[in-house]
Amino acid sequence: MKTIPTLGEILQAQGVSRRGFMKYCAATASLLALPPAMVPRIARALEQARRPSVIWLSFQECTGCTESLTRSSSPTLEGLIFDSISLDYHHTLQAASGDAAEAARHAAMQENMGSYLVLVDGSIPMANPGYSTIAGISNYDMLMETVEGAAAVVAIGSCAAFGGIPGANPNPTGAVSVRDLVKDKPVVNVPGCPPIPMVITAVLAQFLTFGRLPDLDLHGRPTAFFGQTIHDRCYRRPFYEQGRFAETFDDEGARKGWCLFKLGCKGPITYNACATVKWNAGTSFPIESGHPCLGCSEPGFWDKGGFYAPLSTGKFGSGGKLAGAAVAGVALGAGAAVAGRRRQAKYTKEG
Amino acid sequence: MNTKQPIRSAIPYSRGNVKPLLNEIIHALDRLLNDDEPTAIDLASLPFAPGELDELERALGHGELSAELDALGKSLIRETAYPGVWWVEHRNTGGEVVGRYIEITRSPEILMSQDADIGAGRARLRESLEDSGHQSNKEAGK
Amino acid sequence: MDLLEFARGPALQVAAYILVAGVIWRLVGIIFLKEKPEFSEPRKPGGLMAALKVIYTRSFTAAPFKRATLYPKMLAYVLHGGLFIVVFLFVPHIVFFEGFLGFGWPGLPNNVIYIAGVAAVVSGVALLVRRLTSPVLKLISNFDDYFSWFVTMLPIVTGLLMPVRMGVRYETLLAIHIISVAVLMIWLPFGKLGHTFLVFVTRGTTGMVFERRGAKT
Repeated sequence: MKTIPTLGEILQAQGVSRRGFMKYCAATASLLALPPAMVPRIARALEQARRPSVIWLSFQECTGCTESLTRSSSPTLEGLIFDSISLDYHHTLQAASGDAAEAARHAAMQENMGSYLVLVDGSIPMANPGYSTIAGISNYDMLMETVEGAAAVVAIGSCAAFGGIPGANPNPTGAVSVRDLVKDKPVVNVPGCPPIPMVITAVLAQFLTFGRLPDLDLHGRPTAFFGQTIHDRCYRRPFYEQGRFAETFDDEGARKGWCLFKLGCKGPITYNACATVKWNAGTSFPIESGHPCLGCSEPGFWDKGGFYAPLSTGKFGSGGKLAGAAVAGVALGAGAAVAGRRRQAKYTKEG
Repeated sequence: MNTKQPIRSAIPYSRGNVKPLLNEIIHALDRLLNDDEPTAIDLASLPFAPGELDELERALGHGELSAELDALGKSLIRETAYPGVWWVEHRNTGGEVVGRYIEITRSPEILMSQDADIGAGRARLRESLEDSGHQSNKEAGK
Repeated sequence: MDLLEFARGPALQVAAYILVAGVIWRLVGIIFLKEKPEFSEPRKPGGLMAALKVIYTRSFTAAPFKRATLYPKMLAYVLHGGLFIVVFLFVPHIVFFEGFLGFGWPGLPNNVIYIAGVAAVVSGVALLVRRLTSPVLKLISNFDDYFSWFVTMLPIVTGLLMPVRMGVRYETLLAIHIISVAVLMIWLPFGKLGHTFLVFVTRGTTGMVFERRGAKT
């Protein structure tokens, strides 16, 4: 394995001052949602950190996750590529193509056997490998081959994490998630449609800084960003408690910024960092912009019964079946009445 | 920043983030005065309503001292109208905010010259003196 | 399908069918029973007006019993009032009803709901304690009494747990809450909980018969 310079050495070589490095550590602490008191520890860790090799595999995806990452501001993607990670393979961003690209992937795997990170976006079709191939290789084959020597796998976006939109009803391609296939390597899910860019880079920064993966919840998502529901951190929560709701889009309540529960907000059952970290470098998030949360970081959110159906509506099925139940009730009641009348007749006769 | 603009947030002052934050700052100032213990509050982790961050900045105001750091992008380190309470805002080379803290301290550490930088600077100064060929430096001989 | 999907979907659907079928079954089964023949002359006209009158008057305790029943009556009013507020005036519930009724109505702020819910639970527990400690009640109470109490309390308690959380994830608590309501819906037509719709039938029948006989009702 060739010697990889530490991040400290790289920054020094680039002429970055100690102050600049301190600023980088403060930004990293903020990014990792770690308390400011951790900054010295982060500084010590980053000085010794070596850039991990990263192989990015894109399967059945819309490229929204890569687009989201290229909007990531902290650190900048260029900075991310050159300072924090060594992005050795990425369909959309790399210059090489065809055989040269595949050769680069194999070279990266060989040189960093056991220590490289595999990032995956998009789901993997299992119904027929022909649904999605790269250089003639099926997604499944490429995934299983590439993760063999990986230190860990990060499934980026709801498609890679849970199957996403390809996996939604009726799932014609038999789309599955990374976790469904990769069982012998640690898999971190960073869901969202797309995920908040800062969250993607935070997972990579965590790996870079501390050499390990963050604490995960039962869906394999980093608890630092997916540990709270939107509802619990939403700034409109006081309106929910007061009973002030927007009834329709653009009514008085909507314009006053009241709670969007009645418009179908899935905030109470959605775990993500949108309410605190927000989007576009902290500009806003869907609820703040007036649209109810879709729940895009939850498994199967496309099939959860409608984006605009409030969370507390039941799914009762057809009125026809209820009418059928009513008819059944009448029949049973008639039977009970008849039996009752017979009993009554018996008593009256005897009495 | 236009201080006359009304706050956009519909969240009343009593239910928002600003009041509890100001209270937290008061407690941090107590710790600074009594125990010499600094505090840093990361503003990125708080669920601000629209306009609340501006409201907080307005509430804290501007003090006597303001410094601009130019390293990996610009950073602003400004003492607010309340001495000991510093507003620290880090931006990257693209101008986007990568970190925003309120530091309750006598002086944020990033303002101070760092040992590594001092050492490197001394070496550069020495080199530049040698290059211009000053006699006195050769006599002093380090 | 996860627990919440099951709760909001099949569980509620099946519960709704059983509720509808069960209520109609019992009502039809009772209403079409033969009237006992009355051989005496009617002192007052009986009929529907008498039924309605007694449904109303039985809401008030007769004077001789007022003192003895004051305590359980207050508890019952708190329980029923709290239930009414929680079920019909909490906005997420109103939205639930709107889902199949097609119309909604205004609700109350959440902290009022929480207080009403806690009051309902406290009075419910007090009523259970009374049932267990009073020798007469203990003797005559059966599975129906205790189970009906349980399926009524469970939705209130699980509902109150949702803002409190206690370390359990919100969607799990929501699923358990909805399932507990489904259990309530399934049991309602068949046990003592049937009084929700049968109380009018029983009071009405008493009224019709006794008014006709000229008794003070």
